[in-house]
Amino acid sequence: MSTKITVGIAQIDSRLGDVAANLERHLEWIGRAHERGADLLVFPELSLTGYRLLHLTGRVAAIPSESGAIRALIAAAGAMKVVVGLVEEDEKGVLYNTALVLRDGAIEQRHRKLYLPTYGIFQEGRFFGAGSDLSPPIDGLGLLICEDLWHPHLARSLALAGAKVLVVSSAGPGHLGPGAVPESQEAWEALTRAAALVNTCWVVYCNRVGWEEGSFYTGGSHVVRPGGEIVSRSPFLDEDLLVTEIDTREVDRLRWRLPLVRATRTDIEGTA
Amino acid sequence: MIRKEEVAARLQLDCELATRVLTSFIKDAVDTTGADGVVVGLSGGVDSALSTALAARALGPERVLALLLPYRSSAPESSEDARAVAEQLGIEARTIDISPMIDAFFDTHEPEADQVRRGNKMARERMGILFDQAKKRRGLVLGTSNKTEILLGYSTIFGDNASSINPLGDLYKQQVWQLAEHLELPRSVVEKKPSADLWPGQTDEGELGFAYRTADEVLYLMFDRGLSAREIVARGYDAEVVSKIELLESRNRFKRRLMLIARLSSSAINLDREIPRD
Repeated sequence: MSTKITVGIAQIDSRLGDVAANLERHLEWIGRAHERGADLLVFPELSLTGYRLLHLTGRVAAIPSESGAIRALIAAAGAMKVVVGLVEEDEKGVLYNTALVLRDGAIEQRHRKLYLPTYGIFQEGRFFGAGSDLSPPIDGLGLLICEDLWHPHLARSLALAGAKVLVVSSAGPGHLGPGAVPESQEAWEALTRAAALVNTCWVVYCNRVGWEEGSFYTGGSHVVRPGGEIVSRSPFLDEDLLVTEIDTREVDRLRWRLPLVRATRTDIEGTA
Repeated sequence: MIRKEEVAARLQLDCELATRVLTSFIKDAVDTTGADGVVVGLSGGVDSALSTALAARALGPERVLALLLPYRSSAPESSEDARAVAEQLGIEARTIDISPMIDAFFDTHEPEADQVRRGNKMARERMGILFDQAKKRRGLVLGTSNKTEILLGYSTIFGDNASSINPLGDLYKQQVWQLAEHLELPRSVVEKKPSADLWPGQTDEGELGFAYRTADEVLYLMFDRGLSAREIVARGYDAEVVSKIELLESRNRFKRRLMLIARLSSSAINLDREIPRD
């Protein structure tokens, strides 16, 4: 891949439990992203199935190598990297909250969510198994799903393993406080900006929109430059295709003068 | 830890953003269920006025049907205020007097019933009419219960607390007032003393024995922030009011659950099989 990447974020709504309808929408948005010249298109967490599945989780699970939906997405992706979210079933019948990178006729990368929030409104630990490792970055692209970003050493480990772009797929429910920006968004921007600052890398954060069971997803997807500046942002609540040009050379240049990743004491931090 | 002076500020909403979120909720619910619109009981009070205004914004006035459902002892101002709201929003309003239905039952079968039972019956009669009209119009019944009254259980179970969708259920009473002002609903509606209007002279605050603004703050500390009654009193709230609110909240939890099903199998509805409705 060239150092210049046209990143697309597909800030979509998904129909809960309706894979056929969601697949349709994915194909449509992949088409739109091709028209905009995207090299990478990121869909939200569990984009193919919807998020709050509870006891529907098993019914929408797929084994990626046998899934017609994944085959159709791979065909549509072509040379573009497409990150999609799904309920993945493994050979032992364990279900995972998984993100796949699809490109060039294959599943190029797979990340199984490592931290499954099971508190407050979240119930993932009841239905999913947790992934067991970080998948190594490919072409400088590291994958995390939602809650994974709240455990900062994962982003650090990916940076140490060569990630220059952190892709975070999310289904982050919104909540309001007194401010004009949803409180949930303030927390996310603190996290994504901190990750871009301390790991001196790009962060591509894709959050979904829409309502499930009376709870809304904020949207507000954004791209953060190495060092922490937000360079582009989707609106709250509405679907949006956000296209942003990024250059991974900016990572190298910042790391020359701000060598945080190089200086990491893995002997003490225990990462990498 | 949060101090008493900070609580009111925490209950401030950005009204523009909250309005956007709540209208999107109504629109999404109507679109996903394939309904044609919503049906709402418009009482002349601020809660139903706000719910209706949000629906009119979300769907357009032509997809909102307001029903005025007075009993013969309802205050005449209630209907006037309700009509003013409907007019301001440009929505269709239909009046159905529920006196004959209520009186027929009590006169024939239960002449001795007290006013609470009569009030409950009225609330359920209204609910029955709303769901009938919703069926007729392929609509959803729009709820009007706010978070304060839900937590206090100040409602009739399967009566005014019944709905298909409720945009107000996570708004404390003073947040309802904030939004109602923001949407410029008629002053007489926003400023009137809250009342269930089930009998002449009834007011919520008179019946509950404390002010809504206090109840909102105490409930926020108790329910949202998880403080104990003792910790709340230590912040300067009246001990008697706090214990009354605590009692109401715990005694009325049953009203917040739709059905309590006796579990016999290992696949009981809702307990073992949580299937989302969306």
